Amino acid sequence: MDRRDFIKSCSLMAVAGLLFGCRKSVLEGLGTGEGNLRGPSPKAFEDEVRLAMSQARGRLDLVRVNAPGKMKSSGLLEGAGCNNRFGMAIDLDACDGCGKCILACNMENNVPLVNEDEAARGRFMHWIEMRGGVPFMCAHCGDAPCEKVCPTGAANHTPDGISAMMYKRCAGTRFCGANCPAKARKFNFLDAQKLGLARKFNKDVPLREKGVMEKCSLCLHRLQNDRLRFKTESLGEWRGRGVTTACAEGCPKNAIVFGNWLDSESPLVKATSGRQLYAPRELANLDPSVVFIMGKR
Amino acid sequence: MLLLPGLVALGYALYNGPASWAVDGNTFWGTPISLFVFWIGLAHAGTLLSAIFLVLDIKQDKRTAMLAELSTLCSLAVAVIFPLMHLGVLDRFYMVMPLADARMNFANIRSPLVWDFCCIVIYGILSLLFFGTHLACGRFPGLSKIRKPLGWLLFPLVLWVHTVVSLDFAATFVPEWQGAFFPVYFIVGAIYSGLALVGCILWFEGYRMRLLEQLVKIGSWLLCAIWLWNFMVSGNFCTSAFIFAGLLPQLLLVSAIKNSRVGRLLIYISILVGLLLERLFLVSPGLGETVHFGLVDLGLLAFGVSAFILGFCGIRWYLGSAIEGESTFFGEVDDSDLVKGETAGSVGGAGADSGSGDGSDGSDGAEKYVEPWRSYETRTLRFPMFVGLSLTVLFCIWCGAQLAYDDVELTLVQVAPIIYPMAALIAALIAVGKAFYKEVLPELNTFSKKRRMIWSAVVIAFCILIAGLMGAFYGGGASVASDTRVHSAPVAEISNSPAVELSKSRLIWNSRCASCHGTDGKFNEKFVREFYPVPQKLDSARIDSIGVDSLVQVILQGRANMNAYEGRLTEVEARGLVLYMQKLAQDAQQSAGEAK
Repeated sequence: MDRRDFIKSCSLMAVAGLLFGCRKSVLEGLGTGEGNLRGPSPKAFEDEVRLAMSQARGRLDLVRVNAPGKMKSSGLLEGAGCNNRFGMAIDLDACDGCGKCILACNMENNVPLVNEDEAARGRFMHWIEMRGGVPFMCAHCGDAPCEKVCPTGAANHTPDGISAMMYKRCAGTRFCGANCPAKARKFNFLDAQKLGLARKFNKDVPLREKGVMEKCSLCLHRLQNDRLRFKTESLGEWRGRGVTTACAEGCPKNAIVFGNWLDSESPLVKATSGRQLYAPRELANLDPSVVFIMGKR
Repeated sequence: MLLLPGLVALGYALYNGPASWAVDGNTFWGTPISLFVFWIGLAHAGTLLSAIFLVLDIKQDKRTAMLAELSTLCSLAVAVIFPLMHLGVLDRFYMVMPLADARMNFANIRSPLVWDFCCIVIYGILSLLFFGTHLACGRFPGLSKIRKPLGWLLFPLVLWVHTVVSLDFAATFVPEWQGAFFPVYFIVGAIYSGLALVGCILWFEGYRMRLLEQLVKIGSWLLCAIWLWNFMVSGNFCTSAFIFAGLLPQLLLVSAIKNSRVGRLLIYISILVGLLLERLFLVSPGLGETVHFGLVDLGLLAFGVSAFILGFCGIRWYLGSAIEGESTFFGEVDDSDLVKGETAGSVGGAGADSGSGDGSDGSDGAEKYVEPWRSYETRTLRFPMFVGLSLTVLFCIWCGAQLAYDDVELTLVQVAPIIYPMAALIAALIAVGKAFYKEVLPELNTFSKKRRMIWSAVVIAFCILIAGLMGAFYGGGASVASDTRVHSAPVAEISNSPAVELSKSRLIWNSRCASCHGTDGKFNEKFVREFYPVPQKLDSARIDSIGVDSLVQVILQGRANMNAYEGRLTEVEARGLVLYMQKLAQDAQQSAGEAK
């Protein structure tokens, strides 16, 4: 090897080393802003979802329900435009219980991991969990019992039919959790940020602090972004068309359909027309917005 | 001795949060809440023994009554700690209070927890007043006159408070807790456990109260009846609680045990243990199977017991002479008997607790006739009660008329749980204040000047402190934005030329500001959510009087309820926004002019 070849191979190796250092995983590009690279690896989140699915025990006892309609205007919602009522339908004929929705939801909503102690007790923070092989999340009941008992008003209903949480107002009395018949609410028992269990995949969703309740928000941030766009560009009445939730996006079988119950053009209304709707027995008379469909096309 | 590990456990639990004690996936509450229910139950007996006996003209030792009242206060203080430490975010406990803060955020009054909080606070204040009056009776005999009216106020309040506490449970969906029998069940359990506690305390003082033993027996039968009924209806049964609190007390029927000191103490303790177990099972039904008692739970238990003993013994020792009194001997009858002649029997009082002076209960034939509105109890009880009730009603009407409360359902049904406690509080304050003014102040005037100065200074300082706290609360001290940045750098260049065109400002306005201020020139008509106050109304004249630069600073730094937009908007953009605001206001003015 002469001198020229030697220098050439050396520089090639150096360049290769530099390039190796510059490599970037796909997931790192997901989040921008601070806290992006901090937190556990996405692999840990996948493992936890697998663990939670293997531990899942509960069963769903499904009964027939009617399609959710316009919400009864309680005192809080009077005067607010109630032209929207968002919800989801989960097609149990298509769903094979793969659990990809859980992972998609966790990454979209920055759901933290839990430590071994909590995992052993079966207390995961996942907003979606498997019950009898079926993904189950908060049903956003129109007549939500959790909101009635919240002393501070942190759990409240938006005019769009979403049972929302104000994390900054939550004092952690856990009354809502005790009063949810389906136990869909999750309590931040751990300080996930301090323990390094949280990771901010999505900058649109805040990390929750220790001691507050959380649960499925129907990807409220996506709806709000779309609404803002409508307002900014003055596009007329907003019906939330074209928005979808992370779990619906992540479902390989398209078993989860998100939409507006009051909009005849919404994919949700189209997918559920002519199908029988089901809801867990304990939620059936609370006017749930998230329902299950199976059989009869 | 128990206190140290108890304190360690409390500290650990506070530091580690609610995960530290035994809760499973289906239970969110756990030990602190059961301990809270247990201690608040104990807190009821003291007042019961003292106040209810007083109003029912059952003669009672001053010493026993004092001890009972003191036990109420101490167990109430212990009880209050538990729900506070149970909170996920302790420093937000004030949000439970039904007070609107600077942002007009209001507690959700549909929740029983809010009224629970209020009722307990009021109960604490009234118990303190009752105890204090009793304590001061030795020194200012005139005060003993208002003890009976206070007793009448407290008697329904005890039952009221515990009903509200029990409704916390009964209102939920947990099948074990549902049912209208809950208030009765809770009250019986509470009073029963409280009797046992007073029994224990009296035992340590070396007294014996036969009446108490009778009451304990009756309590155990009542509770057993409820348990058996519950067992038949729903099949839930707590065996250990039944044995400890249901069967063992029946040994009181055996005279050998009843007459032995040790036997009595053991029975009282077994009742306490039984009731505690019962509360634990009630709050976390899975105890033993899915939930396992940890060190922290035991520590919390130890903390409760030790804090109570410490507080009780401490105050007992501190007030020792006052409680025993130089002139009170065992067997001496309470001075409330003096009052008895003046009051027109307990029937009149029963009418009074139901509300405003309905008056014509007439006195017993033997006593001379007094006109109803001049009678002693009208002056001491009915008048304050009437004032209290009318103030409460006025308050409700005032709340209903407030613009900011429009979004809060403050109807009569919603505020029902607070009406009696509030009326009782006002009434008691008026009664005590009046008595203080009439009886105590003349005595105080004989004090040395220095002492009077000190006392008035303390009172004034207290008032200032309260006023300051309220001011900070309403002024927004409690709701400071999380990242407030203070910049003193002067505004670089002053020009009114729009560096940003109006069309872009419109976009920014629509996306950033319109959610509160509205897209049109009316600014405040669109009001998004119930949790924000109505934004300031702006018209052309007002904008001009404030000036562009101040408005730019308001946008960037925030003001009162408006958030700071520094970092999200550049200064040039803010300036553009102000100009856009001017244009909107002018347009609105013009269109209004045309409409005219």
